[in-house]
Amino acid sequence: MISTGGLALDQAPPFHIPARFFLTAPLFAVLAGLLLVWEGPSLLASRWMPPAVAATHLIAIGYLGQVMCGALLQMLPVMVGAPVPAVRWVGALAHPLLTLGALGLAWGLWRGGSVILGLGASVTGLGFLVFLIPVTLALTRARGEPGTRMALRAAAVALLVTVVLGLVLTGSLLGWVRLAEFTPWVDAHAAWGLLGWVGLLILGVAVQVIPLFYVTPPYPLLVRSWLAPTLLAGIFLGSLAVIHGWHLTARLALGASAVGFVLFAVLTLGLLAKRDRRRQDPTLLHWWTAMIAMIGATLSSALAAPPTLTGILLLAGLGLGLPAGMLFKILPFLAWFHLQHRQITTGRFDLRLPHMGTLLPLAWARAQFGLHGLALLLLMGAVFIPALARPAGLVLVLSALVLQGLLLGVILAYRRAALAFLVPAD
Amino acid sequence: MDRLLDVSQLEPPEPLERILDALADLVPGDQLSVIHRRVPFPLYDMLRRMGHRWETVGEEGRYHILIWPEGE
Repeated sequence: MISTGGLALDQAPPFHIPARFFLTAPLFAVLAGLLLVWEGPSLLASRWMPPAVAATHLIAIGYLGQVMCGALLQMLPVMVGAPVPAVRWVGALAHPLLTLGALGLAWGLWRGGSVILGLGASVTGLGFLVFLIPVTLALTRARGEPGTRMALRAAAVALLVTVVLGLVLTGSLLGWVRLAEFTPWVDAHAAWGLLGWVGLLILGVAVQVIPLFYVTPPYPLLVRSWLAPTLLAGIFLGSLAVIHGWHLTARLALGASAVGFVLFAVLTLGLLAKRDRRRQDPTLLHWWTAMIAMIGATLSSALAAPPTLTGILLLAGLGLGLPAGMLFKILPFLAWFHLQHRQITTGRFDLRLPHMGTLLPLAWARAQFGLHGLALLLLMGAVFIPALARPAGLVLVLSALVLQGLLLGVILAYRRAALAFLVPAD
Repeated sequence: MDRLLDVSQLEPPEPLERILDALADLVPGDQLSVIHRRVPFPLYDMLRRMGHRWETVGEEGRYHILIWPEGE
């Protein structure tokens, strides 16, 4: 918990470790947008198109994976009192491995080429392994809110299964592994990645962050204790059924999991509506949009809309939007937090530190949200009107660039404020 | 004279920011009286190192914290 004494200040990793993950992520969103501009409507024609698979992995590993790994290394000590062992090494190794791995994997999936595909998948797998082993160790020692602990553990299991399934699929593409049918394994990989890793991690973080950062009532105890393990069981049963061809069980189990996430999204929207303080804030706009996209994705899938529409809602609506909104909060908070730490350790109470709210210009954050919303609408439109595909890609690139600019701005403001400590006191 | 500061509705870390600002502006001899929704442990850590003393009364949801410079 953030509210436990000096624990948070003393055990947090150095600022540059999460920052390097956060600053890399938007560049992958830029690449995904550029790929769409380059390929045009064909990218959205089917989820099996090579550029669509490549764009999916640019977003899932390059953007989402980076943000989530960076955030977890930072937040585990603060949220559940469990610092990640050797966090400097983990950061220094996992970051380049995931960056190069995602680039190689996406290139291999897009243009073919067994060497680059195999290398990209192996390096990505290695990057996640370097991240997962110490994080698993930390999670075995976790304390605090049981709901968060459980959801984070479930998310870690889901990431491991996603990576293993991804490696099996790559092995099959390269002819090393023989699968009776390819499609069910892809569906299982996607279910573990999107519902398991992304969904459960968002759940675990939200249970803690929403009441704390937005001053709302807590999530109901039943949801905190049971939703994550129930969803994990649903995803396990559902993916097993998919692979074995038990169609009815698969539909029921995955459908029930999706309904669980809808319940969570509705609850989150309800809690945000109960805030004491009614201030518009770009992070909230992102939370609202992401929760609506989560509900929309389930509806789209239930109503048998084109699968690319469901994919767009999950990957762009939830996957690109929510991390951006969280970064608007997390990065200024970390910058402020490390400045505060420096003030305490140096005893320089003569210095006035910048307020967290001044580290990120709100007008630009709103503009970023506006561009993100426009990109999302254009992307959804492009499923039905192909001419919208390239404009959608362009707006996606713009929104990612503004995000990158905002994050860099926070780092620069942090550096400026940190320089004041070098000037001796009067 | 006491200065009263209600931070119970603010999102973190604004309560801490406002309290530190108010302490920096505190006139010698004055005390700062803060209304907070939870026990601000990180603040105590800072107050101790800044050479302030404090007293907290209240219950979950509404705490009253009185802060004054050591030696006064």
